Amino acid sequence: MKSWRDPSEKTLALLLLAPAFFLIALIVIYPVGKLIYTSLFDMQLSGGARALEFVGLRNFEDALKDKEFWHATRNTLLITAITVPGALVVGLGLALLANWPFRYKWVVRLSLLLPWALPLSFCGLIFAWFFHTDYGIVNDVLRLLGAPEPTMWLLNPSWAMAAICLTIIWKTSSFMALILLAGLQMIPRSLYEAAQVDGATRWQQFWQVTLPLLVPSIVVALIFRTLTALQTFDIPYTMTKGGPGSSTETLAMLIHKTTIDYLDLGYGSALAVFMFLMSMLVTAVYLRQIGKQA
Amino acid sequence: MKRRLFGQSLSALTTALCLAVGLISLPAAADTKLRVFSGGQNQRPDLMRKLFDSYQAKNPGVTIDIETGGATSELQRQYLSTVLNAKDTAIDIYMIDIVNPAQYFNAGWLEPLDSYVGGAQALKPYLPVYSQANLVNGKVAAMPAFADAMFMYYRKDLLEKHGIKEPKTWDELAASAKKVLDAEKNPNLQGLSIQGAPIEGAVCTFLLPYWSQGKQFNDAAGKLTLDKDTAVKGLDMWLKMVDSGVMKKNIAEVTTPITVNEFKAGQVVFAINWGFAWDVFKDAADSQVKGKVGVMPLPAMAGGKSATCVGGWQWAVSAFSKNKQAAADLVKFMSTTDASKYLAVEGSLLPVFQSVYNDADVLKQAPWFKDAANVIIAGQARPISSQYGQVSDVVRTNTNAALARTKTPAEAVADIDSRLTRVMR
Repeated sequence: MKSWRDPSEKTLALLLLAPAFFLIALIVIYPVGKLIYTSLFDMQLSGGARALEFVGLRNFEDALKDKEFWHATRNTLLITAITVPGALVVGLGLALLANWPFRYKWVVRLSLLLPWALPLSFCGLIFAWFFHTDYGIVNDVLRLLGAPEPTMWLLNPSWAMAAICLTIIWKTSSFMALILLAGLQMIPRSLYEAAQVDGATRWQQFWQVTLPLLVPSIVVALIFRTLTALQTFDIPYTMTKGGPGSSTETLAMLIHKTTIDYLDLGYGSALAVFMFLMSMLVTAVYLRQIGKQA
Repeated sequence: MKRRLFGQSLSALTTALCLAVGLISLPAAADTKLRVFSGGQNQRPDLMRKLFDSYQAKNPGVTIDIETGGATSELQRQYLSTVLNAKDTAIDIYMIDIVNPAQYFNAGWLEPLDSYVGGAQALKPYLPVYSQANLVNGKVAAMPAFADAMFMYYRKDLLEKHGIKEPKTWDELAASAKKVLDAEKNPNLQGLSIQGAPIEGAVCTFLLPYWSQGKQFNDAAGKLTLDKDTAVKGLDMWLKMVDSGVMKKNIAEVTTPITVNEFKAGQVVFAINWGFAWDVFKDAADSQVKGKVGVMPLPAMAGGKSATCVGGWQWAVSAFSKNKQAAADLVKFMSTTDASKYLAVEGSLLPVFQSVYNDADVLKQAPWFKDAANVIIAGQARPISSQYGQVSDVVRTNTNAALARTKTPAEAVADIDSRLTRVMR
């Protein structure tokens, strides 16, 4: 009993860290370790033999030669490159609006939450109907405006990609806005008052006061948004199923297809390791950025 | 003080636990709980439930829970792959699509039923397509529940009105549809509706014109025998129908339910769909085509022979079930002629026994069943492969790409060939 009341600091530190470490081991280290382990095997459940053969890095070599892998990676990077800045710009606009001191700002704040609260797959299904050739509201509006022919949005690779990106931006901007709004509220009013006294215009206040002080929040928002963008699955899966053909298939969809449809766990794990590495790389770059800021 | 309180509460807890354990374990000795995955809405869980209820009445002590899943075969396959891959013991019996027994059995997910049903000859009484699909490596992988196949539904009233006979070839069908469309002048009317979205039905969309030219997709051993020119001709035939206005331009967006709903709303002259759709057209409250629907075998390519895509559903016992004997008993009950007749009469689900097709009660409900048995016997099963998930994905994705015109038919067929040559060998 005594050691509990009067532990050495080191023991106490270890004891206090133990639950957290155990938790991380359980939910991060074990699954990732298992993933890397599986990626070194030929593990095809439907192969008949059910043999678990060690193949070293062959799954990774196969992936690098696989056209589908590169195609899906290209799509994923494209979606990331479009939707992350897109959501940042829209989200920043929404955050500024929600921070504007006017009477009905609670309306803006409430409506900010709605897209965020909507499950991703619902969102994909809803927008799939919006863009449907025959039943979609988009074509209906265009028809009212006098468009002669309905556009087949989701059957053309470029339009389908554009529709997916638009949906993702709509869905994720509110998350960006929420984080940025928190950042905006931490900027002291006195800074703006001082800027006003110095004769700064609103535009100058935004560039000289708001934006620099918002950078930490922006970086945090970007880390989360970029990571989820690299894992994009739900929205293209529900909107196009990767179609037409496989032109809008993302890396996460390819991993899902390989493991769940093809039951090729070894190769699927190797693809997942690539995605993991991509995510780690992005996080490292951002964290370095934060380190520089601090 | 504290310690005593702790001791007291500990003993109270122990007593409570003992009581709880006693309460739980008492009835468990007499009760067998079976959990059944019963497919999606098109597999009529409502009717299955009624059959289960009658089984429960005859077998006191057995309770059957039902679980339903995704609306389409590939959604169900994804769910089942996840559950079975995790060796889940919660579900005892699975209803699976005809394309799955080989893949699941080879993965070690299904309990061989030989010792429960009396060996492979238990499959003899069923239509040949089903006895073949459920016999994997000489073992009984599952027992047939009900049959299905693709049929050509058509608007009897419109064909009669314009004096058109049932077309026998795709060219005749295109001409007939064109004639109706030109005469009706209804901008919402489509000539033919098929499934072009990247769903399981698109595999059949690819295979139907291909098979009807007398070529095989695979040999008996499962090796790919794709004749590329024939396959290109089939896809070209669909695209020609789009160009001539018989099919709508966004055919690559059309899923099975869209075809059913549009035909039901009276917007389609000819529609390819599964047998279950008959019940919807005939009975659904919002059906605009009640009494106006005809069913016929699918047309063939000129000079070829009609071929259909066979579907159908089977009952399988999970290899991870803790009640295999009880589960197998229920599967036996669900695959009897009585069950088959019940499903045919109540839901127009196609029987898996030849004899049930000629049953008077069944024919009263669905007169077209008289000819349906022959269509199914003449029909072809989609490639039976332990890699069916991949086979299906490659075929439907490329068919979808060809119909959306992001690939030419030749490119799509070449891609199918190069991908599946590796998988089906």
